[in-house]
Amino acid sequence: MLKLLCPTLSRFRMTVQIAMLFVTVYGSVFVGNYMADKISNALPALSCAYDQMNGGYCVLVPTQHIIHHRIGEAMVRAQQLTFQMVLPLLMTFVSFFAFFFVLGKMFCGWVCPLGTLQELIGKLGRRLGFGLRRFEKDDLGEVKRVRPVKWLLLLALVFVLPLATGLGVTPHSLGNPYCDICPSRVATTLLTGNTEQLALRLGDNVSFGLGAIANLLIGFMLVGAMAIRQPFCRICPLLAMNAVFQRLSPMRLAKKMHDNCGKCGICSEACPMDITEIAKEEGRKAYHEDCTLCGRCAEYCPQDGTIQIKWGPFALFSSRRDYYKSKVKGELPDGTVKPLKFVRNAARPTADPADA
Amino acid sequence: MKAKAFCAASLACLVGAAAAQHEHHAAAPAAPKPEPAAMRAWTQQPLLLPGRMERGERASAMLRPQGLTVERVTVYASGGPAERLKVDYAVGAEGAKIESVTPKIGNYHWVVAREERGGEVRVASAAWYFGNPGDSPKDLLKAVRHELEIVPEPLPREHSSYRESEKWRFLVRLNGQPLPGHPLMLETEFGSRSTFVTDPAGVATVLFPRDFKPAAAGERSGHGPRRAAFVLSTTKDADGRRYLTAFNHKYGQDGDRDKSLGWGAAFGLVGMAAALPLLRRRNKGDNGNA
Repeated sequence: MLKLLCPTLSRFRMTVQIAMLFVTVYGSVFVGNYMADKISNALPALSCAYDQMNGGYCVLVPTQHIIHHRIGEAMVRAQQLTFQMVLPLLMTFVSFFAFFFVLGKMFCGWVCPLGTLQELIGKLGRRLGFGLRRFEKDDLGEVKRVRPVKWLLLLALVFVLPLATGLGVTPHSLGNPYCDICPSRVATTLLTGNTEQLALRLGDNVSFGLGAIANLLIGFMLVGAMAIRQPFCRICPLLAMNAVFQRLSPMRLAKKMHDNCGKCGICSEACPMDITEIAKEEGRKAYHEDCTLCGRCAEYCPQDGTIQIKWGPFALFSSRRDYYKSKVKGELPDGTVKPLKFVRNAARPTADPADA
Repeated sequence: MKAKAFCAASLACLVGAAAAQHEHHAAAPAAPKPEPAAMRAWTQQPLLLPGRMERGERASAMLRPQGLTVERVTVYASGGPAERLKVDYAVGAEGAKIESVTPKIGNYHWVVAREERGGEVRVASAAWYFGNPGDSPKDLLKAVRHELEIVPEPLPREHSSYRESEKWRFLVRLNGQPLPGHPLMLETEFGSRSTFVTDPAGVATVLFPRDFKPAAAGERSGHGPRRAAFVLSTTKDADGRRYLTAFNHKYGQDGDRDKSLGWGAAFGLVGMAAALPLLRRRNKGDNGNA
């Protein structure tokens, strides 16, 4: 039955993503109104606390709050930095890890509502016939140049600025700076019909500036995702945080070297994060920090068993030649599909009267 | 089988781990500041008003009964040790210093001050949020505490609050039974007065007035929207006695105040415009070849 409904891994993943989009954006309908009812407030996905209807909170929310309100303020009061003070942060990370242990970075590729939105927009872009732009030498520049951004955002916006605010060094409006620039905050609240997070606070330049950055990002993402796959994921600090823990979860990408590896490059072409290492490397190096465990590389690898998604010793999905052959009939590795009819008609060259 | 393994992993993620929480004190009924004398006259209803506490204090609070004379207030918790689920606190000169059920368990607690005088029973009730993790207040609100009750359905979520222009539901019940067609009066610190009537299920849908006055210079401090007090009250004659019950809390100013949707949309559009060049180049070779 499941195979009938979800004949491919991509279809199954999209089904899970849509379900998770409802859970993360409208989940309070199922789990309850209060924070204590939520699935967790330390989810490894951008499930926004500003969305009043969500089913859980992103781990970055409590991380910023605890660093700001507990650790920073406690240090200001010149108290000893005791276990008791860092306990809430520790508990947050324990909760985060309880989830992360099970699915690992699949939270990025399968659960995150912002990732799902970007992917849906990307699919629309393919249907509308927009050409794919890639982070590679001949197009948008090498992907390596983008990768450090997520680490900088994690360090500066999730750890340093909240701590500096708790210490009284930076203004109060820099207490949760990542949430303030997070496009998921704007996107998920808009999905509940709430425009409050789109509006910018006046009279406070810092809040205005941070809100403006969030809106620029969401605006760029809404259009840019039609041409670039997963534009925000590339700089997402939660991807960086998940990358820190990715070796501690049994869920992982496993790659063996095949004679064709590095030659066909189909797997890296299929990768929505433009990870070239997946084609060239094996083992730990192939499971890159940018990997979201979406599984597209495994779906599009034409070699039997070369790329796998594994949980511990169990292979949940393995690349197969016959699967690859049927998969490319519907969608090319870079996501290109048959454009909509009116797009095809518009793209068709008009007949030259001279030919008549 | 592999797909089933995925399903199992996904489900385990959803139901397996306990929901942890983090502190959040913006949703507490009030900032820990003393009420100015000028603000005390805005209502004659019985109230439980917050008093001064140390900054960063998360497991205790000072509540001062006003409009009724009581020797103690009673605090109900929704979880924790059985002997701490209902605790009486003596009222001193500054008020009653109440505590969360344990130092580490917070979330909403229900606070009641009850006065019997002659044939009248006056009750002040409030929900106090302690900034530590704790059980959901769903069961706390279901339990019957006294005769005539005003029960929020629901309380504001921990990252939320009552706000101007919003509608919230409150159940009015007597001895645990809903009171249909019963009036419920709202008074706010800014002087608004309105009355709502309960529906057949005993629920009144209260519209919070848009009545915040402009902030005085230097008035605002901390983050989150400005907040002011409100009280809901109702009376009922039954069993030869007159019951008066009030529920007081804080409401915030409309989130759209001091905000510009126009500016927000403008920056969103600038972001979109910045991405437009990415769409210009069409991969003609790929069009229609799938």
